[in-house]
Amino acid sequence: MIEFRQVSKTYPGSDKPVVEDLSFEVLEGEICVLVGPSGCGKTTSMRMVNRLIEITEGEILIDGEPNTAMSGTQLRRKIGYAIQQIGLFPHRTIADNIGTVPNLLGWDRGRIKSRVDELLDTVGLSPDEYRNRYPAELSGGQQQRVGVARALAADPPIMLMDEPFGAVDPITREGLQDEFLRIQQDIKKTIVFVTHDIDEAIKMGDKIAILKQGGVLAQYDTPENILSEPDSEFVSSFVGGDRVLKRLSLTRVGEMDLEPANGGTDGLLRIDEGLTVKDALSELIGSGHSRAVVEKDGENGLLTFEAIEDLMGGASGEPSNGGESSA
Amino acid sequence: MLYKILEVYARPDFPEKLRQHVLLSLVALLVAIAIAMPVALMIRNSRLGALIAINIGNIGRAVPSLAILALALPFFGIGFGSALVALTALAIPPILINASTGLREVDKGVIDAARGMGLSGGQILARIQLPIAAPVIFAGIRTSAVQTVASATLATFIGGGGLGDLIVEGYSRRGPEILLAGALAVAILAIITEIGFGVLERAFTPKGLKIAQKRRK
Ligand SMILES: Nc1ncnc2c1ncn2[C@@H]1O[C@H](COP(=O)(O)OP(=O)(O)O)[C@@H](O)[C@H]1O
Ligand SMILES: [Mg+2]
Repeated sequence: MIEFRQVSKTYPGSDKPVVEDLSFEVLEGEICVLVGPSGCGKTTSMRMVNRLIEITEGEILIDGEPNTAMSGTQLRRKIGYAIQQIGLFPHRTIADNIGTVPNLLGWDRGRIKSRVDELLDTVGLSPDEYRNRYPAELSGGQQQRVGVARALAADPPIMLMDEPFGAVDPITREGLQDEFLRIQQDIKKTIVFVTHDIDEAIKMGDKIAILKQGGVLAQYDTPENILSEPDSEFVSSFVGGDRVLKRLSLTRVGEMDLEPANGGTDGLLRIDEGLTVKDALSELIGSGHSRAVVEKDGENGLLTFEAIEDLMGGASGEPSNGGESSA
Repeated sequence: MLYKILEVYARPDFPEKLRQHVLLSLVALLVAIAIAMPVALMIRNSRLGALIAINIGNIGRAVPSLAILALALPFFGIGFGSALVALTALAIPPILINASTGLREVDKGVIDAARGMGLSGGQILARIQLPIAAPVIFAGIRTSAVQTVASATLATFIGGGGLGDLIVEGYSRRGPEILLAGALAVAILAIITEIGFGVLERAFTPKGLKIAQKRRK
């Protein structure tokens, strides 16, 4: 668990804090996304966790201990670190890159080698093909995978990720996000994840901390609650006018309670259970139908506009609230 | 003519002049490395330091070799020592400039990742910055070495000896073959230096960087 306690940061030579009185908790095994406009202090906040940047006021506790209890380098070896620039060591092989922290921690060579191969498998790169290559021989997406593998190498309970999928094209990024979420289901790391992209925040976060200019926490909650109840003008305009649709992207059609489709389903549109409700709705509208069939566990369910409305529930069913008017 | 030149190389005093020339260049280069590298390492994280070093280096490069030799004279007198001081001063700038830019050009993301994973400052220098900057540093040493070998020819003017003696002798005694023999020897020495350090440079370029260089082309 990571706990920010009234953390402030003022850079030397400046009189304005870039992070101000920040307090929140990241629970064990959760991804907490720090999101907000550029320059709002996300990176600074994240880097104070492993003391790449020293705190001006307040403290950060890790499992109840102040993060100043040990030296900065010791602390950082226990915390995974992945960044947008990736920063793979160009003169080292992929195996050496991934083995960096285990090597610092004095693991023996056999253990490092098997860990490297295991991680290459985890991130979807064949160990035999990639372990002896150099970073320059990899595509951008492959380099990002290695960057994540390197951050996971010593199996740290905590990870810091600063726009870790920011340097690749949107399609590759989606793939990497899906893959990382799949990995996270097994490894259950406690993660501080920085992005400026609200869609990425909604997708990746168990919790989202929205920061505004000056490093002030605007709202801290689950993606669902932030989308359904933005508690300020700033948040509702930051999440965007399509926040109702964004909420639909939080659920997959397979997770909905659907009426069984009795009788003939021939000729009806069929929708894959893995699609998000948002994408399903888009298909439904695009097809000109008002209903579609979703096959789940061998049974046919009926997806209708009413079912989608039910999913959105009470509050947001009411047509006029704050979010719409500000958009 | 060729025969006459070869005759000069057979003279009993030739090996001594060659030895002086090589010794003068080598010692000047080593002392220059011993001065320039620690300075470059010290200022590797300071933008101001790098700026000052590079500017001093550039000024040093702009001063003609002969002028520096002449400058050494009033302070260190005539002889080998004086020539050594002057040549060292000449050899420093290319090494300082390259080492300092090479170290500073290491990608910021790479350094940040290294710090973020818990490498100490010394580990980052030894395992990351130096290997990555090695090709640039060696290129500076190569430039400096070739230039020192060439400039050592001028040592004769302040009594430093070396192959320059032959050129001066050939000129004053109207013996073109002596002059040519001296010039040719310096040229060959310079070429050997260039090739030798080129080999070293390639040997010290990590494989991953060679691949990256090739990809960039
Ligand atoms: N090392 C630094 N020295 C001074 N100011 C900095 C430094 N790093 C960042 N800043 C400033 O702090 C603010 C927050 O930066 P940052 O945390 O990088 O924001 P974000 O990651 O949200 O884009 C910016 O205004 C930035 O200019
Ligand atoms: Mg940032």
